[in-house]
Amino acid sequence: MTTIVLPYMLDFYPLQDEDNTRIHQFYASLREGKLMTTKCKDCGGLFWPPRVACPGCNSDQFEWVELPGEGELYAFTAMLLGAPMGMEKDVPFVLGMVQLDGTEFKVLSRIGNTKYEDCSLGMRVKLETYDLEDGRVWFRFVPITSD
Amino acid sequence: MKNVAIVACGLAPFGVRKATWRELVQEASKAVFDDVQNLDKKDIDSLFVGAAMPERFAFQSHVAPLVAEQVGIVPHKVVTRTELACSSGQSAVRTAWASIVTGLSDIALCLGVEKMNMPNMLETQTSMACVLEREWDGVQGASAPPFFAMCAQRHMHEYGTTVEQMAMVSEKNHHFSTTNPYAQFQKEIPAEKVLGSPMIAPPLRLFDCSGITDGAAAVILTSEERAKEFTDTPAYIIGSGQCSMASNLANYKSLSTWHPLKIAAKEAYRSAKIGPMDLDFAELHDCFTISEIIEYEDAGFCEKGEGGKFIEEGQSNIGGKMPVNTRGGLLGTGHPLGATGIGQIVEIMQQFRSTVPKERLVDGAEMAMSHNLSGAANVHSILVFGRSPR
Ligand SMILES: [Zn+2]
Repeated sequence: MTTIVLPYMLDFYPLQDEDNTRIHQFYASLREGKLMTTKCKDCGGLFWPPRVACPGCNSDQFEWVELPGEGELYAFTAMLLGAPMGMEKDVPFVLGMVQLDGTEFKVLSRIGNTKYEDCSLGMRVKLETYDLEDGRVWFRFVPITSD
Repeated sequence: MKNVAIVACGLAPFGVRKATWRELVQEASKAVFDDVQNLDKKDIDSLFVGAAMPERFAFQSHVAPLVAEQVGIVPHKVVTRTELACSSGQSAVRTAWASIVTGLSDIALCLGVEKMNMPNMLETQTSMACVLEREWDGVQGASAPPFFAMCAQRHMHEYGTTVEQMAMVSEKNHHFSTTNPYAQFQKEIPAEKVLGSPMIAPPLRLFDCSGITDGAAAVILTSEERAKEFTDTPAYIIGSGQCSMASNLANYKSLSTWHPLKIAAKEAYRSAKIGPMDLDFAELHDCFTISEIIEYEDAGFCEKGEGGKFIEEGQSNIGGKMPVNTRGGLLGTGHPLGATGIGQIVEIMQQFRSTVPKERLVDGAEMAMSHNLSGAANVHSILVFGRSPR
């Protein structure tokens, strides 16, 4: 059977550079450890994920604003069996919905540096970014430790 | 509005099939045409193929003409494929219904099919992860089991639902599927066995999850005026509701209350001019045990938070307030995405005809609904059926 190696043509990660997406600023900011999104200059609407046209008022004028890089676990589980291609070696891993502080957004993320058994509802977590093998950037959340 | 009826139905056996996508199509086609009397295939003017991911599972796009050729028809009013992930099958029927209501189509074939078991199951698991929003949610390694696991966690946290209650849903539906030779799973799975099965995504275990299934199902629709030409026992579509709300998980209002289901159900009952408890039974989308529990509540069969009690008291069994998933549900029958919604409608028609085995017969049933959710429960689709037209 053919072995498929990353990066393959259709993989899970978004194309991130200027040639491929109009929200390349999101990924550039992520590389600096910031979780940004777009805020509509006309109606003030804040959307996740970033947009190029406002679903609220139809404007295309946006500014980039930083979202809180901290939040708490609204829900979590772990992938123990059945992870998709390219992620099967990560099993088991924790997944959680992170309610970002002061926002309505419950961003789904890997929860790193922890085990399912050590997580709890409401647990405080913070953003962590990392480089993919091919140079792209991605993010996860990790528990905030008290030391 | 014009009344539309299902006049014939047929199934290919669901399971891990030693058959290709197109062979499943032919099996369902044979079954539905064996079921119908006095129908000349030339009179089928429209074809709707429910298929979620033939591109990934069968490396085949543009599937409607392929199906038309396989089954031997030349549709000349509408020919199309409907894709709505787990609701692709019901979507075919909804679209055919609309086309007949407008008078565009006269007789429509709806065929739902999925071939999901592949030599390399990693392929299937990868495909299932793109049912969620792939760039933001699927990319994190999420797919259906983790999403529904988090729904279960929230429902347990907010309403005290237990894993034992969830296991009872699996036991019930696996029991029903032992009466259904077309079902993937033919063995009783007592609740203790569910609770002892391998953990997939806590709190969900293997038998809390529906299977990876190959299968196909088909129905034929026409107007009330013509229905009696083809069968003595049509099943009429008497109501409908559907709602889509959010895609990215970040934008969900709740995991434990499925708001789009509440909206779809309200519209389905309004259009059928009934209340939820006027239904005699329901086919609900039990992709996971927790799904059925939340659906009891948000479809209006019990109060919010009482879904666990509803199964525990046997209210969703035959003889209870609302028998649910008498054919075995997705848990017992399997879940071939594009075929599931039509498989449910086959059960409703066979219940109305009293041709299902006695153990699962809802005697004298006059009205029933079929419900599907799709993706991460952000779309809910309902059709209401009656033995009599509205
Ligand atoms: Zn705006």
